[in-house]
Amino acid sequence: MSEQTTTVLVANRGEIALRVFRTAQAMGLRTVAIHTDVDADAPHVLAADVAVAVPSYLDVDAVVAAARQVGADVVHPGYGFLSERASFAAALAGAGIALAGPSASVMEQMGRKDAAREVATAAGVPVVPSYGIDDDPTTFAYPVMVKAAAGGGGKGMRVVRGAADFAEAAAAAGREAASSFGDDTLLVEKYVESGRHLEVQVMADTHGTVLHLWERDCSTQRRHQKVLEEAPAPTIDEATRTRLTQSAVDLAHEVGYVGAGTVEFLLDNATGEFYFLEMNTRLQVEHPVTEAITGLDLVELQLRVAAGEHLSMSQSEVRRDGWAIEARVYAEDAFGGFLPQAGTASHVSWPEAVRVDHALFSGQSVSTSYDPMLGKVIASGSDREAARSALVDALDETVVLGLTTNTGFLRALAASDEFRDCRIDTAWLDVHEVAPPPVEDARALAAWVQSVAWLESTTGPFAPDGFRIAGSPTALRVGLDEDVRVDPQGSTVGGRALRRPSLHEVDGIVRIEASLEGRRVVGHVRLLRSGGAEVVLEGQRFLLRPLDPTAGAAAGLDDGRVVAPMPGTVLDVRVAEGAEVAEGDVLGTIEAMKMELSLRAPRSGRVSTIGARAGQQVPLGAVLFEVEVEGDSASAEAAAHLA
Amino acid sequence: MAKSLADHTAELREHLARVRDGRAGGSEAARAKHTDRGKLLVRDRVDRLLDPGSPFLELSALAGFGMYGRPGDDFAVPSAGIVTGIGRVAGREVMVIANDATVKGGTYYPLTVKKHLRAQAVAAENRLPCIALVDSGGAFLPMQDDVFPDREHFGRIFFNQAQMSARGVPQVAAVMGSCTAGGAYVPAMSDETVIVKDQGTIFLGGPPLVKAATGEVVTAEELGGGDVHARTSGVVDHLANDDAHALDIVRGIVGTFERPSARSIEAAPVEEPVDDPSDLYDIVPADTRTPYDVRDVIRRVVDGSQMQEFKALYGETLVCAFARIHGYPVGIVANNGILFSESALKGAHFIELCNQRGIPLVFLQNISGFMVGKEYENRGIAKDGAKLVTAVACSVVPKFTVVIGGSFGAGNYGMCGRAYDPRFLWMWPNARISVMGGEQAASVLATVRSDLETEEQVEAFKAPIREQYETQGSAYYSTARLWDDGIIDPVDTRRVLGMALATSANAPIPAPSYGVFRM
Repeated sequence: MSEQTTTVLVANRGEIALRVFRTAQAMGLRTVAIHTDVDADAPHVLAADVAVAVPSYLDVDAVVAAARQVGADVVHPGYGFLSERASFAAALAGAGIALAGPSASVMEQMGRKDAAREVATAAGVPVVPSYGIDDDPTTFAYPVMVKAAAGGGGKGMRVVRGAADFAEAAAAAGREAASSFGDDTLLVEKYVESGRHLEVQVMADTHGTVLHLWERDCSTQRRHQKVLEEAPAPTIDEATRTRLTQSAVDLAHEVGYVGAGTVEFLLDNATGEFYFLEMNTRLQVEHPVTEAITGLDLVELQLRVAAGEHLSMSQSEVRRDGWAIEARVYAEDAFGGFLPQAGTASHVSWPEAVRVDHALFSGQSVSTSYDPMLGKVIASGSDREAARSALVDALDETVVLGLTTNTGFLRALAASDEFRDCRIDTAWLDVHEVAPPPVEDARALAAWVQSVAWLESTTGPFAPDGFRIAGSPTALRVGLDEDVRVDPQGSTVGGRALRRPSLHEVDGIVRIEASLEGRRVVGHVRLLRSGGAEVVLEGQRFLLRPLDPTAGAAAGLDDGRVVAPMPGTVLDVRVAEGAEVAEGDVLGTIEAMKMELSLRAPRSGRVSTIGARAGQQVPLGAVLFEVEVEGDSASAEAAAHLA
Repeated sequence: MAKSLADHTAELREHLARVRDGRAGGSEAARAKHTDRGKLLVRDRVDRLLDPGSPFLELSALAGFGMYGRPGDDFAVPSAGIVTGIGRVAGREVMVIANDATVKGGTYYPLTVKKHLRAQAVAAENRLPCIALVDSGGAFLPMQDDVFPDREHFGRIFFNQAQMSARGVPQVAAVMGSCTAGGAYVPAMSDETVIVKDQGTIFLGGPPLVKAATGEVVTAEELGGGDVHARTSGVVDHLANDDAHALDIVRGIVGTFERPSARSIEAAPVEEPVDDPSDLYDIVPADTRTPYDVRDVIRRVVDGSQMQEFKALYGETLVCAFARIHGYPVGIVANNGILFSESALKGAHFIELCNQRGIPLVFLQNISGFMVGKEYENRGIAKDGAKLVTAVACSVVPKFTVVIGGSFGAGNYGMCGRAYDPRFLWMWPNARISVMGGEQAASVLATVRSDLETEEQVEAFKAPIREQYETQGSAYYSTARLWDDGIIDPVDTRRVLGMALATSANAPIPAPSYGVFRM
């Protein structure tokens, strides 16, 4: 490390800031964090030697001013935020502060699709074949994609499988493009039915050396969001690998690249051909898998290159050993429409046997203000299967309570036959669903843990062993979201055999490993004081709570009638007789005692009676609405009439 | 060939299993009709009410055994149509009293009343909250003269509820079926009441009676359904969707009760017996006349199989020893032969010690009686026996009696028989109880008859008496009539006593005082 470099500012937050600090501290550098107000106590702030407040991580002037203020020699941008913002690179250059990344002009070139494609073509790197919209359709290699030049979001896009359909598809795409984007310019490109996302890690210094650090395969993605990433790529042969990595190096040379970058390619499964997609001019989220197989520290290399040092190894010295797979843990409910989750992670424990880059600790609150990624679990092994099984095991031990994460989804994917057999292409997750671990198993583990807790907590003659005079003991009933019967003597849960349970408690979380009907299951259970349990089974979080028996929701008011809770005036009737309504829908409002109350459907069904009109004075108990259920069975589902 | 203790126990388990799994009485059709309505069977209700896995100290499960049916039909009214017992709800012991509507509509036979009252007495004595799961058509009308009018009849149930409530022993009812006439007062007299909608009804007079009395035509639901009582009359406090929901609400109610203040008896850490309790089957001989050392029984009941004997060398036919059961201190009084003056004096002394020290008493009864004969009468065995009976009668510490063999004559009194108000009294299945042995009774009665001349005549006179005593002396005859709180598996003795001790610790122990000991 050159002597003048003493201070590094990381223009980022979360796990990547912690990741950079770790290397910087090992290199003896002073570390500086920036943070917004909501992040004042964030882990990356606590981890840095110095922290400076900024109004936003995207505020170029403020970040540059912060770097100047603390006397930073180098700024590491991480990924996202300003990492690929040419104006940021330019501003730092203007301030005489080094950036761990390429120059503003390189960023600018590679940031524009058309310019990048030109660079690639100039470097002899294959790009996706394209045609002029006015060329003869019979000369195209089908299938092709017709898409709006200004497009996005799938609008104005058509896949065409033969020349005969081209004209019609192009006309339709043009109309859609015109109406959606006000621009009917169309492009025609080769359409890859099934592709793999491959990318090559390159590293270049300021002295003209460009190395590749092998490739990664990130085909497991959902709506272009990478889910699992691995290195090396599992489906290519050595010849392809050589061509792929050489293309990336050629491209980097061509553009005069400096620092760490990633060249992304699409591999057509049908032909085995690959095409340049784009270049990311920063450190990637998935860089740890490359570190795992090469043994290199990419952040260290970035910082050294930024300080003007030579890359001290030759290409032949960049090794490739074993296999590594990374899974991205997000605060999202993968089995509930991938909705973002926010809340307090009341308990967090990450696996210990593998590398984890994360910035989530117990008790931390997760907001939707920033990227929902909580951390990355990176497993490696001597070969792909070893790495994959280590990842599955690691995700089993990834426990976040209080907040739902996608860990269960990641675990199910990593354990799937499709992932094992490399059959997941880039479109797979857009059409396939992954099954969550069965809630019955979560219930079984929670019920067992609860039974053991009861048996251990109460000794003496009233120990809860189900004793009956001169008879067989009764099963224990554990009230979760459903009742589960546990027979400790017979070692069954809900009638299923649970064998060889092994329980281990830390901080009120019980890890249970058992054989459930012959299958090994691992879960983490927190028993809730008020009854029920929170369970993480194979990464998936389940909240299993019994209903509160006297609360309104269970109070037996499910006759479908909505009555006036007090004498008042009906303000508003929002439904007509015969309307289909869902439980909780607002049917109308009533004003009484200076309060306005919404009258909600007590259950789903059809509005059979309306006993009120707007403006009408109604007495206490007047039936205002009746909601009839198909076949009107006395459903146990009930809801309060008022909310 | 006399039955072994193991054979007796196997028979007991079979009878209890029949009662519990419903093979007895409460016909298949009645059970199906009950469950088809979404109602839980009575023992499932109890299980669902209790804390998960809670043991249940069921009382007199074989009440009514061999009664009310045709000869040979022992299970005409199984469990006397009502399940009672002690279990834990929300972490505390409660008395559960639950009607079995599959047995004659849950109506009250004389023994149903007796069993209900006995459960209340146990609750009152041990300060146990009472949970009534009501599903009963009221008094069994054909036997109204044995059910309705007397002091210890139906009305006493409500008297007891009022009295217990007044003393701060909570009364809760869940109406899970009919609750008619007098029965309506069970929920009405309760502190807090739940009803199951479209299932529970409460009224003083049902629709037929109303029609007869006033001509009014009304449905049961309109007259006293859950909706009426929860929304209009206020007779109940909570409306439940179904049985399980009602029981959850009851559990919530119990959770709000004041915790009992300090336990009156403190338990030490529990130590299991060193000697295996299942040895009991081999220790107790099949023939009741074969002597054995009762200490071998005690060692299989007490903690660590350890006891500290009192006056081991004096009055040896009565073993008195301090020990612990499930951690609770106990003074054990156990027969080891016939009672003599010395054994009676020793027993009285020991009982005084236990009362002085606040140590509960456990009587292991196996007694053919006090020694008779001129020498013993002249030396005043009657007054020494009286001292023992006085000490037992005036005892203030909780007493528990287990009849492990014979219970005959005045031995029954000195060893805390039913009349001496033990908190609980259980029989082993081999136990015998009667004022004297059948042979002795037949001989005594034959002696006072002047018209019996030949051997044959004497024998013909004695045979039916022997047979009567044989029948009436059995544990089943006793338990059917509620002379005890149930027949237990000998191996369960320790557990049952432990639960009883824990239960008794809910009530304070008053200061001891005695009547005149005749010196």
